Amino acid sequence: MKYVIAICGLLLVVASFATSLSMPDARSRVPVLYWVTDNNPERIKQARRFQQWLKDNHYPPFELRLDTSNSDQQKKIIQGVSGVAGDIIDVGTNELGYFHAIGLFDDVTDDAKKMGFSVDQTYPAIGANLTIDGRQYLFPCNVGCMLYFVNKSTFKKFSQPLPPNRWTFDEFESLGKQFVAAANSNPRRPEYFFADTVDREVMRRSLGLSVFNETLTRSILDDPRHVQVLKLIAKWTNEDHILPSAADKSSYATAEGYGGAATQLFNDGHYAMLNGGRYLVIQFRKFHPPPDLGWSEPPNGGFPNVSIGMRSAGVYAASKHKDLARYFLKFLASEEYNMNIVEDGDGLPPNPAFTQVEQYLRPPQYPNEWDCQAAFAKEISTNAIPSAGSPFVLFSVATRIDTALYNGMMSGLYTAEFAAFECQKRINQEIDLTLSEQPELRERYDKLVARQKQIDDLRRRGEKVPATWIENPFYRSYYRAMGWSTEKAGT
Amino acid sequence: MTRRRKQRQLAVGLAFLAPNILGFLTFTLVPLVFSLVLAFSNWDLRRHNMFHDESIKMIGFKNIERLFQGDDFWRFFGNTLFMMMVIPFSIAGSLGLALLLGQDAKTSRTRRNWVMILCAAVSVGGASFAILLGAGASGMTLLLSTVAGGILLLGFVGGSTVYRTLLYLPSFTSGVAVFILWKKLYASSTGPIDHALTPTLDALTKLVNASPAGLWSGAGWVLWIVGGLGFARFSFVILRNWFRRDFEVGTVLICLAVATIGALLCYGLGSVLIDLPARTAAGRLTPPNWLTDYYWAKPALMIVSFWAGVGSNNMLLYLAGISGISPELYEAADVDGAGRFQKFWNITWPQLAPTTFFIVVMSMIHGLQGGFEMARSMTQGGPAGATTTLSYFIYSEGFETGRLGYSSAVAWVLFAMLLLVTLFNWRFGGRYVND
Repeated sequence: MKYVIAICGLLLVVASFATSLSMPDARSRVPVLYWVTDNNPERIKQARRFQQWLKDNHYPPFELRLDTSNSDQQKKIIQGVSGVAGDIIDVGTNELGYFHAIGLFDDVTDDAKKMGFSVDQTYPAIGANLTIDGRQYLFPCNVGCMLYFVNKSTFKKFSQPLPPNRWTFDEFESLGKQFVAAANSNPRRPEYFFADTVDREVMRRSLGLSVFNETLTRSILDDPRHVQVLKLIAKWTNEDHILPSAADKSSYATAEGYGGAATQLFNDGHYAMLNGGRYLVIQFRKFHPPPDLGWSEPPNGGFPNVSIGMRSAGVYAASKHKDLARYFLKFLASEEYNMNIVEDGDGLPPNPAFTQVEQYLRPPQYPNEWDCQAAFAKEISTNAIPSAGSPFVLFSVATRIDTALYNGMMSGLYTAEFAAFECQKRINQEIDLTLSEQPELRERYDKLVARQKQIDDLRRRGEKVPATWIENPFYRSYYRAMGWSTEKAGT
Repeated sequence: MTRRRKQRQLAVGLAFLAPNILGFLTFTLVPLVFSLVLAFSNWDLRRHNMFHDESIKMIGFKNIERLFQGDDFWRFFGNTLFMMMVIPFSIAGSLGLALLLGQDAKTSRTRRNWVMILCAAVSVGGASFAILLGAGASGMTLLLSTVAGGILLLGFVGGSTVYRTLLYLPSFTSGVAVFILWKKLYASSTGPIDHALTPTLDALTKLVNASPAGLWSGAGWVLWIVGGLGFARFSFVILRNWFRRDFEVGTVLICLAVATIGALLCYGLGSVLIDLPARTAAGRLTPPNWLTDYYWAKPALMIVSFWAGVGSNNMLLYLAGISGISPELYEAADVDGAGRFQKFWNITWPQLAPTTFFIVVMSMIHGLQGGFEMARSMTQGGPAGATTTLSYFIYSEGFETGRLGYSSAVAWVLFAMLLLVTLFNWRFGGRYVND
């Protein structure tokens, strides 16, 4: 028996040695860097282009490998704090706050200026998503502003007028009701919907309401405007059936494939409009023939705005190759990468200049997209506003609370009034908890609370508020649009 | 044996055990002790990690204080307890199956032929009935009845081994894969469950509309009264036995819990019957939105638990327990002229008491700990937190907000609850078993 055990032990040692020899790092003559990103076929092309770009520009040689199995947020966190995360990490639109609090990303501000991938190389609207306290940690891989793609064929099929590019809640409701009445023959189970979803935050903002106040110190969602939005969405979903309910969506889940079922449902006409960014054209281009596309803004209650979605890359603070990883961020700002995004339709290119080139505006193979391309480029420069994230509560926590109460309201568990009240209460409780856990934030918080009081006083007197006082990106835009702010510095 | 030889043997034995002991120390004991310490600390991933110098502070019972003061813990604890209500049904199901599977279903060739003819007739008849009711379009009812007939037939041909294998199947299939499958089964409108339910509900709608409304509401009221009276009677008997010192406190509490679940079932079914005429008058009955409705999401997950639980290890334990009962006891009962129920109540059930005790303890431990995989795969803890159990709460607090200290406190409070439940079971259930 002992010989068997000894042989097994020996075999394990040999196998371990063989495994270590076959490890990628051991086989490569140049340093190997890992890019933690999503499982998208486009990434393979992008990594290849990057290798070529390094070679063409005679930059230090190294190998970039994809790590798509660790793109889950929890995995990034656990591996990050354990010192074993990938060298370059992708993050979603509002994740920087959490990752920065952990310390996961390296400050690239100085090198970004030297190497040409600073914040001013990209869209002004997304600056707040790349920086914290004026220091840069990320550069965008692709950017999106969320508009409705309109499937013109679907509207034609049901003899319905095309929706306008800009519309009010009432117009949206009226056209939506007209559409579903014409499209659905079986009222018991509506199969055709006007749109796949509406964005609560965009709707609230269009009425002049944000999750947080001007200084991001308190949630202010217990507001009649929030109640109005919740009631409208419930009506559009449960009574008018303009939007699919969660159950309707789950009934489609059986047909789900790569990229989700939504694009297929849009192409088949089940969703007449699909909310999303330009990245959706990757999926549309797979259909034969691809859908004939138009666009519309989300419906508004007086202040038109659109939301931003983006994927950005940062350098892992514990990477052994931080200097080399910066070349990847430089690549993201390069013409090669931006043109790759333009050609493949993987969202908007990080550099806005590339949204003006002919290949972007009128891709020769896809005339069905020509109506939309310019719209995305224009909207991100004019109407796009990033989500408001408070430094005193995690964005994911605030979103979780908001979503749970919204779902409760949609299930008939809560009234819209209660959901709005409870949402504000719970987010503010989280803020209080953060302050008690992190007393070092108290001084900054108190200063901002005092500033908020000044803002409220000025507003009450009908005077203009210095724009620099406003921390909330939505209110900065809103005050400017309403003429309530001044560019003069306040005291 | 010389001392030296003994020492050598000890060293060899320890060397063989070392990998296991080291593994246990590294991956179980040390993390366990560490998490206990953590429960009294302010460890927050955002501030205490390799990138920050800030040191972790011990904060005493603050995490536990916060936990008991917050709404979330109690809400999710309530969800966990609610989901645990499936345990008695699951155990009863396992026992029933074990009793059935204890008997061989294999029959003689002549009898088998008759059974096959009967099964075929039942399947064809059932399918025709289903088609008449309007299920022909979906074919799902047809498919289900054919599958049921096929399984019956297989059992008669292959004996109870076929049933044992089929019923144990959920235990050796991957959890997440099974949950995703159930998610598809539950899909609204297009899912097989809704397809099978729709014609039945349509037929029920017609039936209710065609009959006097008072009949249904009357039946509902009867159920309410039966539930209420049954509960009162059962409680009275239990309490009387307690006062006479025939029952221990533990037995009383368990019996009262079972009586409450029974009364609630009667109340629920009664309410449905009372409400039925009004609902059918307003329109056709439709299947529930299983996973997206706040009130149905928990029962939907409980059905999955029941499905996974009845044919699980519990059934095997009961089967082993039944095969261990001396046949002489049954022979003696036969001589005394005992019927089937009397034999079950006076021989099988008491003889299985140790097995039942073990199953109850383990099921309660699993019930308090469980629910994570299912909720994560099927509902993400929603809608509106309806299916968030304590184990899911620990995960979300630990990794979504980074509060590892607080999350450990929740885990250790859960452990304390498990310990209490187990001690309770040992204290009272153990005595019952020994009696």
